[in-house]
Amino acid sequence: MSKKKELVSKIGLRLDGRRADELRRVRCKMGVFSQPDGSAYIEQGLTKVLAAVYGPHQVRGNRSKAQHDSAIVNCQFSMAVFSTSERKKRPRGDRKSSEMSIHLRQALLAAIKVELYPWSQIDIYVEVLHADGGVYPACVNAATLALIDAGIPLKEYVCACSASLANNDIPMVDISHQEEMLGGPTLTIAALPMSEKIVLMEMSQRFHIDHLPKVMAKALKGCKDIKVILDEAVRSHVEDVGCSTGWSNTSQKIKV
Amino acid sequence: MSNKIHIGIASDRVNPSVALNQRVPKIYTPGEVITEQNELMRGHGTYEEDGCLKSSVAGLKEEVNKLISIKPLKSRYNGEIGDVVVGRITEVQQRRWKVETNSRLDSVLLLSSVNLPGGELRRRSAEDEHMMRKYLQEGDLISAEVQNVFTDGSLSLHTRSLKYGKLSQGVLIKVFPALIKRSKTRFHNLSVGASVILGNNGFIWICPTVNTEEESVGGFIQNLEYIVPIEEREIIARIRNCILALAQSKMMLFDTSILFAFEESKKYAVAELLLPEAMVDVALLTQQRLTLLENQ
Amino acid sequence: MFSTRAFIKKNKVGNYLKNIREHYIRDDIFCGLESCKSCEVLDTSLTGGFNNKNNLFKFNHYIILDTNIILDQIDILEEDVFGNVIILHTVLKEVKHRSLPVYKRLMSIIENPTRHFYIFTNDHHKDTYINQEKGELINDFNDRCIRKACTWYMKHMPNEKFVLITDDRGNRNTARNEKIKTCTITDYVKNLENSKHLQDKLARKDFHTVVDSDDFYPPHLPTVDIIQGIKDGSLHQGTFRASTSNFLEASVNVDEFEEPVIVQGRAGLNRAVDGDFVAIKILSKDEWISPSDIILEDESVTEGVDEVLEKEKVLKKTQKKANAQPTGMVVGIVRRKWRQYCGILQPSNMDGLFHLFVPADRKIPKVRIETRQAEFLRTQKIIVAIDTWPRHSRYPTGHFVRALGKIGDQATENEVVLLEHDVPHSKFSEEVLSFLPKLPWTIKEGDIAARVDLRGLDICSVDPPGCTDIDDALHCREIEDDKLEVGVHIADVSHFIRPGNALDIEASNRATTVYLVNNRIDMVPVLLSSNLCSLRGGEERFAFSCVWIMDKEANILETRFHKSIIKSKKAMTYEEAQMVIDDKHQVHSIAQSLRNLNSLAKILKRGRLDKGALVLASPEVKILMDSETHDPISVEAKKLFETNSMVEEFMLLANISVAQKILKEFPECALLRRHPTPPPNNFDPLVKAGNHLGFAIKIDSGKNLAASLDEAIREDNPFLNTMLRILATRCMMQAVYFSSGMYQKDEYFHYGLAVPLYTHFTSPIRRYADIIVHRLLAVAIGADCTYPDLLDKHKSTDLCKNLNYRNRMAQYAGRASVAFNTHLFFRGKLQDEEGYVLFVKKNALQILIPKYGLECTLYISEEGKTSPFTYDEDHQTQTAGDIVLHAFDPVIVRLTLDSKNIQHEKFILQLVKPHIEGFSIAPLTEMETKHKLTEIESGKKNKKQKKS
Repeated sequence: MSKKKELVSKIGLRLDGRRADELRRVRCKMGVFSQPDGSAYIEQGLTKVLAAVYGPHQVRGNRSKAQHDSAIVNCQFSMAVFSTSERKKRPRGDRKSSEMSIHLRQALLAAIKVELYPWSQIDIYVEVLHADGGVYPACVNAATLALIDAGIPLKEYVCACSASLANNDIPMVDISHQEEMLGGPTLTIAALPMSEKIVLMEMSQRFHIDHLPKVMAKALKGCKDIKVILDEAVRSHVEDVGCSTGWSNTSQKIKV
Repeated sequence: MSNKIHIGIASDRVNPSVALNQRVPKIYTPGEVITEQNELMRGHGTYEEDGCLKSSVAGLKEEVNKLISIKPLKSRYNGEIGDVVVGRITEVQQRRWKVETNSRLDSVLLLSSVNLPGGELRRRSAEDEHMMRKYLQEGDLISAEVQNVFTDGSLSLHTRSLKYGKLSQGVLIKVFPALIKRSKTRFHNLSVGASVILGNNGFIWICPTVNTEEESVGGFIQNLEYIVPIEEREIIARIRNCILALAQSKMMLFDTSILFAFEESKKYAVAELLLPEAMVDVALLTQQRLTLLENQ
Repeated sequence: MFSTRAFIKKNKVGNYLKNIREHYIRDDIFCGLESCKSCEVLDTSLTGGFNNKNNLFKFNHYIILDTNIILDQIDILEEDVFGNVIILHTVLKEVKHRSLPVYKRLMSIIENPTRHFYIFTNDHHKDTYINQEKGELINDFNDRCIRKACTWYMKHMPNEKFVLITDDRGNRNTARNEKIKTCTITDYVKNLENSKHLQDKLARKDFHTVVDSDDFYPPHLPTVDIIQGIKDGSLHQGTFRASTSNFLEASVNVDEFEEPVIVQGRAGLNRAVDGDFVAIKILSKDEWISPSDIILEDESVTEGVDEVLEKEKVLKKTQKKANAQPTGMVVGIVRRKWRQYCGILQPSNMDGLFHLFVPADRKIPKVRIETRQAEFLRTQKIIVAIDTWPRHSRYPTGHFVRALGKIGDQATENEVVLLEHDVPHSKFSEEVLSFLPKLPWTIKEGDIAARVDLRGLDICSVDPPGCTDIDDALHCREIEDDKLEVGVHIADVSHFIRPGNALDIEASNRATTVYLVNNRIDMVPVLLSSNLCSLRGGEERFAFSCVWIMDKEANILETRFHKSIIKSKKAMTYEEAQMVIDDKHQVHSIAQSLRNLNSLAKILKRGRLDKGALVLASPEVKILMDSETHDPISVEAKKLFETNSMVEEFMLLANISVAQKILKEFPECALLRRHPTPPPNNFDPLVKAGNHLGFAIKIDSGKNLAASLDEAIREDNPFLNTMLRILATRCMMQAVYFSSGMYQKDEYFHYGLAVPLYTHFTSPIRRYADIIVHRLLAVAIGADCTYPDLLDKHKSTDLCKNLNYRNRMAQYAGRASVAFNTHLFFRGKLQDEEGYVLFVKKNALQILIPKYGLECTLYISEEGKTSPFTYDEDHQTQTAGDIVLHAFDPVIVRLTLDSKNIQHEKFILQLVKPHIEGFSIAPLTEMETKHKLTEIESGKKNKKQKKS
């Protein structure tokens, strides 16, 4: 099972025409639902993810879970049964989904200022509509947008990005499904891009430790690039809403 | 069953935004440095790190003297004393009700903060405590006023005015609290034939117009026998749809905007108002009329 | 920066799956022209400094190629005749998809900057990207892409001219309508200046022979039917292996059958060439036959078909049903494995442009080529590529690629041997050489500090005479308590060859040093192999040492590994070392240690044999060369001394110790060597032969096999045992390198040596596997650091594949070289020699002549004559009168070389003894031999004079 397939051609283009350090096209939208407190939709390449945030609200159900010094955060990851080329049996509950939920929670907990909401609870739901590689990063990014939409205080953006090695030498960023299948191990990191703190790093295969620094640097760079894109989206969304409401709920009254 | 089913294609979706070209104030996003001066006080939506004041939410800066806070456009309801809210009873406890008011913690309505039948100054007896469920039980909707804000951020409500109390027949809409325009009156008897309570917490109650002078709302009586005539129900439904349309386009909600929207919606049937195109259309027309009004 | 478009692909994997992939369209792709104003100019090898001169287009132009041109005419493209070629990415992808070898060759052209080739990524360029339309065939779509790119270039650079070369008429016509200049490759090449020699190289895809001739072969099934057939089990697929002795027979290894499936006859083989991946139909059981035991050669010199039909009849007659094996016929070719073949033109009187090419490899059919320089080429060894094999043609059609040199020249023949065995033998490139240490090379303080200083020890090396790449040295000294310290010191090649640099990559590709009779193709540059790494006597060298503490019974008490500095006291030959040991007067330390080593080695060997290690034999010969003329002077079997075995024992011990160490440290990725236990039916010929002679050969275990071989001794025929061992050797599987992570523990076993773990550690100068093992061991003892590929078991599996392949090829190349030189030695000679019957066949005896390590065929039934022999198949004997010839019987035969066929010079054997009336010939007298020899001598002198 030699993996000799060249993922970056001699001309420096990847199979889909990107260069090694280019992200796939990212499109995102905030406030896609009216029911939850915050929601967002993101497309990274063909990977499509919806996220919804409820809360912070009173702890429901088992009240003993409530904490006096912070909010509790719940994450639920699910994949639509039609999201992969082969239909899935069920959207969640399998080992992979539970693991994803845990990883999501870990990444998001690092940014949410939970200490501001004692006795409260924040629920985050993400649903993958189409999986084409980089599912976890897309989920993290979507959840971040949804949290911002919900007005929940964050230390900063949490962004995630995957990276891998092409031709066993060139690090490349934002791995598509095709590349995941053909290529070597994929490293996924979730980071606070502004302070360059890595909050989660995951890789299910092994590669040589020598490769790690450059691949990690590439993934971190990817996170920063994504942060820029998300930030732009947030600003334009705020602007949009602000203009619609005429900024009337703010102290700064803007004259037409 | 409806004989017409509309399934829109995502790519054909109408952008509900009716944003006007306005000067955009400076927007802060999470993690962004607001200022490096540290003699300022940090308010909501900010935090301090490495000697800098940073934003933790996406929104606009508000400065009150040395207090700097960033206000997100959308968040859970942060109550202030005097706010009128609409809420739902979630629990009955010892001498208090828990009320869901879209805040981050449930609000409290103390038995002592309600007007009990039989006069305002009646003593609360032990019997009353046993009767609490008779007055208000889980699921009941009430309108109330914020009496106090506790340190943990939860609210204490009271219904000690005849304006407040248990809500009877009507429709509840939930919108983002930020869309409710701040104004003195929250109770509007719209001229078109319905009453609206614009709760500061984003809960809006629409009901048939009641004659406040005659009947006391502030009680715990629900008149469910009374059959609201179809015309009135249609008006209520139309108002609801109009509010939804405005909310979707992120327009501020207040009596005038609702009224304008109501009027502009006349060309559509009530059910048609749920079509995205119609909703945007109504929002746009309302927007125009409001601008006109403002410019006059 | 980029725009995007998604497109949908349907893939069939059992059921329909919809795969959507992204396709980014860019605006930053460089057109490749230096003079371009609108693109951001990047690196390009297209240049205005190069002009394409062609009579068809009398202006400078850039060339755009169609896919088929590249696939068919890669030989032309490799000629340095035209440049400024734009290769479109869609074309490149298609080429890669259709033929990986052609793709690789194309890539090497593109990477050569003097050829001025450039890849234009048209499918990601915003202006040349087009969508495949509904119902549009993929071929038409590709053509449209090419034309789109052409028109774009014309618009993009109106001042430059572009020419599209394609052999597709439809495409040409459409292109003309779009005002694209276009022509066929044939027209283009014909109109090149100085194109004469090139026209031969054009591949012929169009059949301009007589079309009305009858189809000679049955048609192949269409691909769809083949796939369907394989799926439903009515057809099978496997690799086609032509028989070396019978040109009308071949076998196909099919997964579904244990034995290879036999295919026979013209219709059965149906245009398959050795190595092709073919689809076959299995015949009904009553048509099954056993492999033929006659030898048939394609002797026709024309394209006539009569001869084949004749031979087919012969074959039919001899078909037997006994021991029938699955038999089938080729119905289609799944994948051609055609490569370039070395050979010569058939000497014939054929006029005109068409000639027959005879490949050196007998398994390959003759090839029909068109050439205008036949006269010249007849004297040359040439390379030819096969293009196609139409149904009506007796032979495949091909084209001339290049000439290697004069037939019979040492240099040419060496080249042929190297090419035929795919041995990389070009000079080391500048880049490779740049990684060599700079001279004068000195040992630095730091190096001394990092190594154990063993310069004081009495270390010596023992090697064959004339050896310059000494990679091992030994020492042995007594220490306290009657213990011995034994050290094996191996050249520290991995110190000089660092992982990943060009030198390392080159060495890993070469994998092994190839020894030809008069030439050595080094794996590493000579500075390392014969100087810096070679553990020469009296010089300080870096070594990797494996040191044991042993008691006198050769029990290992302790094993150490460390990098060291040594100074070999003396580099000896086996013979010298033997003399030192035997000469009781020499009592100096080296003599002592050699004696100690020798006695330890004997104990070790006995222990090894007791465990069931096999002593195998293969006839090895040494050819002595005339130092001036490089002609062979004499051929003799190699002499073996005790010291050979002594060195071997310690090398084995070192290898085993190292194998244990690295496996312990790297259970997933240790590079080891395994020798699989042969399947029982491999031993059939050996067991049969043993039975005929009255020996029971037990094959159930290596130990029993070794024991029964030891017992098979007959007083009257001392060579018989050796013969059996030679046979046993042929029953063995190949020993192979592997990565420990890919096999189960019990599969690591080395059958021949009867050890559970084995690797190669002791010859890093000439084997790349040893370098890897050195690196692993260095990491294991903390002397060096690791690197990614070393620990990747898939990478090392790939590496092992190459190592195994190269080793096998090197072995074959070595044998081929010996064979050629033996022939050279016998040219014009006539000699009677002792030989032994190896196999008895129906129409021939296979004779082994141990003196020269030759294995030749003695035909006993000539065509048209009745043979005096009768063949007994059951007992494998040939009887003539009262003389019975068994396998392994000694005979005397006369050897002559038949030089009629220059390419396949073959030995003609005539029986001298035992004498059979009317068949055998009288022995040569001494006089005659001498006479002959002097003739040759004078002949040689003549040659010399000619040369000067």
